Amino acid sequence: MAVLPMRRISIYGLKSQRKGVLELLQRRGAVEVIAQQPDEDKLSTMDTQAARNQFLSTQSTAKRALEILDIHCPVKKSPLAMLEGRTPISSEMYNDGLQRVKEISAVASRIVQLERDREDCKAEILRLQTQKESLSPWLGLDISMRMKGTRSTSVFIGTFPQAYTREQILIALAQKLPEVHAIEVEVLSTLSQQTCVFLICLSEESAAVETALRSMGFAWPPNPSKKPPSERVQQLEGWIQEQEEKLSGILQELKTYGNRRDDLCFLYDYYAMRIEKYEVLALLCQSRRTFIITGYLPAKNVPALEKELTETFTVFVETEEPGENEEVPVALENNAFAAPMEPVLEGYSLPKRGEVDPCTPMACFYYLLFGMMLSDAAYGLIMTIGCAAVLLKFKNMESGLKKSLKMFMYSGISTTFWGILFGSWFGDAVTVISKTFFGTEVTIPALWFVPLNEPMRLLVFSFLLGIIHLFAGLGVQFYQCAKAGRWKDAIYDVVFWYLLVGGGIVYLLTMEMTTEMLGLGFTLPEPVGTISAVCAGIGAVGVLFTAGRDSKNPGKRFLKGIYGLYNVSGYLSDILSYSRLLALGLATGVIASVFNQMGAMVGGGVVGAIVFTLVFLIGHTLNIGINVLGAYVHTNRLQYVEFFGKFYEGGGKKFNPFAAHTKYYKIREENKP
Amino acid sequence: MTFTDLLNTLGVPMALLGAVLAALMAGIGSAIGVGMAGEAAAGALTEDPSKFGKVLILQLLPGTQGIYGLLIAFLTLSNIGILGGSADISFAKGMLYFFACVPMGFVGLWSAKRQARASVASINLISRKPDQFGKSIILPAMVETYAVLALLVSLLAVANIGKLPL
Repeated sequence: MAVLPMRRISIYGLKSQRKGVLELLQRRGAVEVIAQQPDEDKLSTMDTQAARNQFLSTQSTAKRALEILDIHCPVKKSPLAMLEGRTPISSEMYNDGLQRVKEISAVASRIVQLERDREDCKAEILRLQTQKESLSPWLGLDISMRMKGTRSTSVFIGTFPQAYTREQILIALAQKLPEVHAIEVEVLSTLSQQTCVFLICLSEESAAVETALRSMGFAWPPNPSKKPPSERVQQLEGWIQEQEEKLSGILQELKTYGNRRDDLCFLYDYYAMRIEKYEVLALLCQSRRTFIITGYLPAKNVPALEKELTETFTVFVETEEPGENEEVPVALENNAFAAPMEPVLEGYSLPKRGEVDPCTPMACFYYLLFGMMLSDAAYGLIMTIGCAAVLLKFKNMESGLKKSLKMFMYSGISTTFWGILFGSWFGDAVTVISKTFFGTEVTIPALWFVPLNEPMRLLVFSFLLGIIHLFAGLGVQFYQCAKAGRWKDAIYDVVFWYLLVGGGIVYLLTMEMTTEMLGLGFTLPEPVGTISAVCAGIGAVGVLFTAGRDSKNPGKRFLKGIYGLYNVSGYLSDILSYSRLLALGLATGVIASVFNQMGAMVGGGVVGAIVFTLVFLIGHTLNIGINVLGAYVHTNRLQYVEFFGKFYEGGGKKFNPFAAHTKYYKIREENKP
Repeated sequence: MTFTDLLNTLGVPMALLGAVLAALMAGIGSAIGVGMAGEAAAGALTEDPSKFGKVLILQLLPGTQGIYGLLIAFLTLSNIGILGGSADISFAKGMLYFFACVPMGFVGLWSAKRQARASVASINLISRKPDQFGKSIILPAMVETYAVLALLVSLLAVANIGKLPL
């Protein structure tokens, strides 16, 4: 029900048992180890950065291997799998895994290596195929592409950058070289941008022919094959075949590792634990034969841990109350009703030292306000049943998520409650359905009243709830001051404000103008007004003289007092802020009605029923989503700004014990004390 | 037909103009706002796709004004009898409905745009410090307060105009 009291622990032990002590602490997960400055020459800290880097690299290999397996041997995961939490394994399974760490590391490296080979293979195949394709225009050639000629002839094998027929080439050459007569041309292939030719002439005329050919744009092929192209293509195909066989071999081998996924997860976790252990190791003070562990742990865990440590190892354990100025980490412990508030509180800030844990008073209002903003019985039931079903199905869920779901479940119950009070079930769905499809108008009556008909009434109620909420916040402040023995602060900062704001509100209720405007139907009698005015006066004077009590200078103190009194306007805006309870509550109902009416526009009959069902499903899903978000955000706001503004500062550091912060597995402790 | 009769035929159009204004302006504001926040959200997701849930909530925050606008528009339409019933109200009442809708329209437009900027900043915040989600939600939600207040004024006015003897 509160912030757990912490104790500072120091463990002195022999280095030979360091490993065992650290492992025990990690398994118990009870102590947050803090860094110690070695204050003597004999003591020093250890640098574990190099070892940690090595672990990190193995860990990332395991992660990479898992990603590769996800690609090549995918397993179907349900979208709800994220709710499942870490798989628990027994100590035997853990020890069994430990034996195989080397082997699993080898598997991880092998998988990563295979993936690299696979990538290389793919690239090689592509390269060979491109080569093969570039040879396709030359397939008509049955000699080597590097052939330059014989003793008395010259051979030109190459391309022109445009489409030519044999005739066009011969004519062009005849025009350029009228004296040359012995030229044989063969067109191997023609494309719109390229003509591949084989040309032979006498070697003494080759220089002239080459000049003429160049002027026509002739070019030698960029990578002529030594063998005749068709043979070369066959050779390439052989190589491609080889690579493909290699590739399928690789894929097959990868597939055989599909069942090693669990091992790889274990490897990942194993290194996560080792990295954490080495991080802690770097914090310890050590001499040649001894070490000292210093840290914090919840006081209630001290006896068990002390007993276990001293019984198992030769260590000396000492605990003490943390000093005044130490920044002690904060751990909260709450009952089932208030615990779901912890993540919400963490979203703001954890209590700093000496502050109370506001979870319990927060919880009382949180569910109430949330329910009022959503205020639809059917939506509330859906939320409650949905969250309860998930909570029951996934018992192993991580605690943060579990708390959030519980928060929504309790809020759902409250939503149902308010929905029944305001007579809202999917908005006015029952009325619309009965009217459209059955011809009679059935309405589920509101247990209290229908907000849309009497918005003023709900507005006044929202303000009332707001005032209670704010005064509860002030009450916590009073408790906090009283607990610390600062009775003066309690009176100055809380009682005076109770008198001023409370008196002011009651006084307003004695004026006919206000009660009429708010539609209250009653006006408090005159004497009450006098009493309340006196109370408010006392409060105001009190605030005026005490708000600036930190300042020594009387002038400054007085000015600060006036400024403190000005804070009344803050209370006014705080109270008005609760009008969002009305606005958001109405928004849910009205939007639901809009969807119901839209669905009913087609009228009755089968078609009407189908259209109505569709619009109903889509519309209300949308409405739930938007309004749950709205209710969540604005409930948080009312807590953070209006409520916390009255007493809470925050700024504590979360208790983050040295433990096994793994990702996939949770090691079950059979002999947990 | 007297001048008064002629004037009274304008009652429904005036009221409708108000309703349309509320839905239109608040809707435009939310569309701009959700769009801006969406761009920032997509940017944040390129770095870390696992933040989808968080940035989605921040993106949706400026979307509520459009819904409030719809709410006021719908209430007005229903009160002036356009959605079934006889659409017959005096010019004075038509003007009253028009004025009642104005806060929601204007405040909806501006607050959605401003809230979007706060949302964008908050998205940047959680892309760097994912643990600050609680605070990142509250900052844009502060802007929304004023949309809620405008909604409240419009709502109270629209709901009560029908009871006036005009």
